[in-house]
Amino acid sequence: MAGATLALSGNSTFLQAKEEYDLAVTSGDPVVATKKALEALGGISRFVKKGHRVVLKPNMSFARTPEFGATTHPMVVATVAEACNQAGARQVLILDHTLHRAELCLERSGIREACKNISGAHVQAFQERKFFKEIKIPQGKVLDRVEVIQEVLECDLLINIPVAKSHSATGVSLGIKGLMGLIWDRGIFHSRVNINQALADLATVIKPQLTILDATRALTTGGPGGPGEVKKLDLVIAGADPVAVDSYGVTITPWYGRSFKGRQVEHLLIAHQQGLGKIDMDQLKIHKETT
Amino acid sequence: MRTIVQALSLLLFSLLFLFATYKLPDWFPADIYLRLDPLLGLNAIFASREIIGRSLWGLVTIGATLMIGRFFCAYVCPMGVSIDFLDLLLFKRKKQKSLTIESSLRKTKYFLLIVFIMAAITGLSLAFLMDPIALLTRFYTFFLYPLAITLINLFLDLMRPLFKGLGWVSLSHLHIFQPVFYMSAITLLIFGGMIALNLIAPRFWCRYLCPLGAMLSLISPLGIFKRKVSEECNECMKCQKNCPMGAIPEDPTKTRLRECFQCRTCVNVCPQNAITFPASLSIGGEYSKIDLSRRGFIYSVAGGLGVGFLATQTPFTPLQGKHNLIRPPGAVPETEFLRTCIRCGECMKSCLTNTLQPCLWESGFSGLWTPKMDLRLAPCDQNCNVCGKVCPTQAIRSVSLEEKNHAKVGTAILLKEKCLVWAQNKICLICDEICPYNAIVFRPVEGFRRPFVIASKCNGCGFCEQRCPVLGESAIVVVPDGEIRLKEGSYVTEAKKLQLEFKADPGDDKFILEESGFKVESGKKEEKNLQPQKPKGFLQ
Repeated sequence: MAGATLALSGNSTFLQAKEEYDLAVTSGDPVVATKKALEALGGISRFVKKGHRVVLKPNMSFARTPEFGATTHPMVVATVAEACNQAGARQVLILDHTLHRAELCLERSGIREACKNISGAHVQAFQERKFFKEIKIPQGKVLDRVEVIQEVLECDLLINIPVAKSHSATGVSLGIKGLMGLIWDRGIFHSRVNINQALADLATVIKPQLTILDATRALTTGGPGGPGEVKKLDLVIAGADPVAVDSYGVTITPWYGRSFKGRQVEHLLIAHQQGLGKIDMDQLKIHKETT
Repeated sequence: MRTIVQALSLLLFSLLFLFATYKLPDWFPADIYLRLDPLLGLNAIFASREIIGRSLWGLVTIGATLMIGRFFCAYVCPMGVSIDFLDLLLFKRKKQKSLTIESSLRKTKYFLLIVFIMAAITGLSLAFLMDPIALLTRFYTFFLYPLAITLINLFLDLMRPLFKGLGWVSLSHLHIFQPVFYMSAITLLIFGGMIALNLIAPRFWCRYLCPLGAMLSLISPLGIFKRKVSEECNECMKCQKNCPMGAIPEDPTKTRLRECFQCRTCVNVCPQNAITFPASLSIGGEYSKIDLSRRGFIYSVAGGLGVGFLATQTPFTPLQGKHNLIRPPGAVPETEFLRTCIRCGECMKSCLTNTLQPCLWESGFSGLWTPKMDLRLAPCDQNCNVCGKVCPTQAIRSVSLEEKNHAKVGTAILLKEKCLVWAQNKICLICDEICPYNAIVFRPVEGFRRPFVIASKCNGCGFCEQRCPVLGESAIVVVPDGEIRLKEGSYVTEAKKLQLEFKADPGDDKFILEESGFKVESGKKEEKNLQPQKPKGFLQ
């Protein structure tokens, strides 16, 4: 109970919610599991206020179809976008800095198609530097500045919707790793600085208010781009604490054939140590639901 | 009337040009203007010594010219339209002078035609240099199209605050991919030169230089419609002064039938209404002979053979078998490729990623403007096969996506001295991350995971080379070794024969915990995981 109290102290709106959970873990098909996860956290209206400009950050970085597990399931994204719309969001911008050519990613990931009928929702890929703006990272250990998609800096609410993937440099690619899709120069993460520390640095300045991890299927080898082994898990994990969501995400399936805990993932451990969130499951109040 | 037809033809040409993108449906002939050009067709057929299906479309133009006369130049040719329109725009106020050396200059185009045909017979594709359709397509590809996109993006940038204010989200984030090309400047200079020649005489290019015009004029007197001047003519010479082709000689009742392209300007300017274009079966007349001197003929034959000799008997020719260029997937074998390619630039225009770039001297004179892949600039996308679809001579074969992805263009090799992982022990995985075929795997080498290329899984797409974060030359480069170049037959079958496998399946990535993002508590390391399951070449 001590852990739950600790979690509550950070968020005043949270106190008013009837059910107070750090994490919602729901299973079912992508639409139902996503809806249930949002409900369990007290509804999307806990985060989205009328007139908000919302940014959704799914992973649509690869020109691959959803079954490869390299991109967020389009129905998870569409369900969140629709929920934001119904909660009164003025605008829902679904964006990513894609690795492959933008139009191919939007087309093949299925995300543009899934969101096309949601009013106020726009799916955009950013591949031009002019759409990015430099910000400082005051608490950065290896990064002191970074160029971020301008829309992210200007929005009222950022919701991260990563897909659960293995990653050959960071072990797993979940929510915090997904933040790399919001910045301009990713190359230096690999060539100049320690990527795990750089990710934690990034997480000190880009703070999604909500993370919804799409684990309806997980790319457990060959990540982040695939092709690799795709496991159907039918899970959605949501929460306001980015480290907690990721840390739980590590435990849902073996990666590269082995089971791990959040503490074993270097960038999560560093983020936790920098006070960005909780990493140990026994300190979290978790709502589990099967549909 | 003529202006409208011309404008429509240029519009059609421009639209077809714009349609040449990766979404082009298989059945849509975006390259139809190039196919209809009988000079390009003949050039490719002679040079490659093959009958090329798409080039037979040129027979339509030949047939129509035989029927009607040399109407193509006045009504259809998009280069002719461009010349006329730019002439109107740029040079209108300047008085056109008549040329004193007119008739001898007129022969130039025939000599050029002979040079190009002879060069083609030696196996050198040369007509591209002066063929109007190829020239204009190149000008569009390398200059006009990139310029148009720059202007559109400039406009979008200027309007962006307004779009944002109006809440037009998609428009306020719109940016059109900007293609860039080597040799844009040269292409512009050549085109600008052609247009500037109009300062000397209207349609200077068409009258004196155009080899396609020369080819069509050879058969144009056989056409049915011919200029006829009635007895009303008072020899005011207005028609002669106004004829854009100089097709009316000193005697205005006569016509140089080979030059007349039936624009009917003379009909409109004649104060006596003495000129008509009735159907007539007569051919010839004293002004319709081609007066090529025997000497000139011999010189141009010798010239064509000479150019062919100089361009083909060079070290570049024996080196064609060991060329160092990455050609587009589906390109026929190098020698045939150089002979068949007409350098129109359509493949480079349509290329989704902008990797296709024109060659300058990489394979000598015979390789000018041929497409190569610049994989450091951009990769070849596995979802696109448009370059073959739009190739009017099928120097790049039009094949299905599956076939195209098996048309291996080369193999990636790792330069270990440059690689961040091999040389500096850094945690870099970009080549592995981006590889669509899982051809890059990490394997333990002395306790550290190092990237390797599995050549049998690499089709040379170049994502790795483009993305490598090392500055300057990439630490992983695609070389032509292992390319599959077929004149006919299936690339899939060939790849199977060679035991290659380009498909999206899990690789044999070995994952070593302590070097990855995973932390393993001491004492829990599983040493056996570090060992490859079985050595290569052994069976279990």
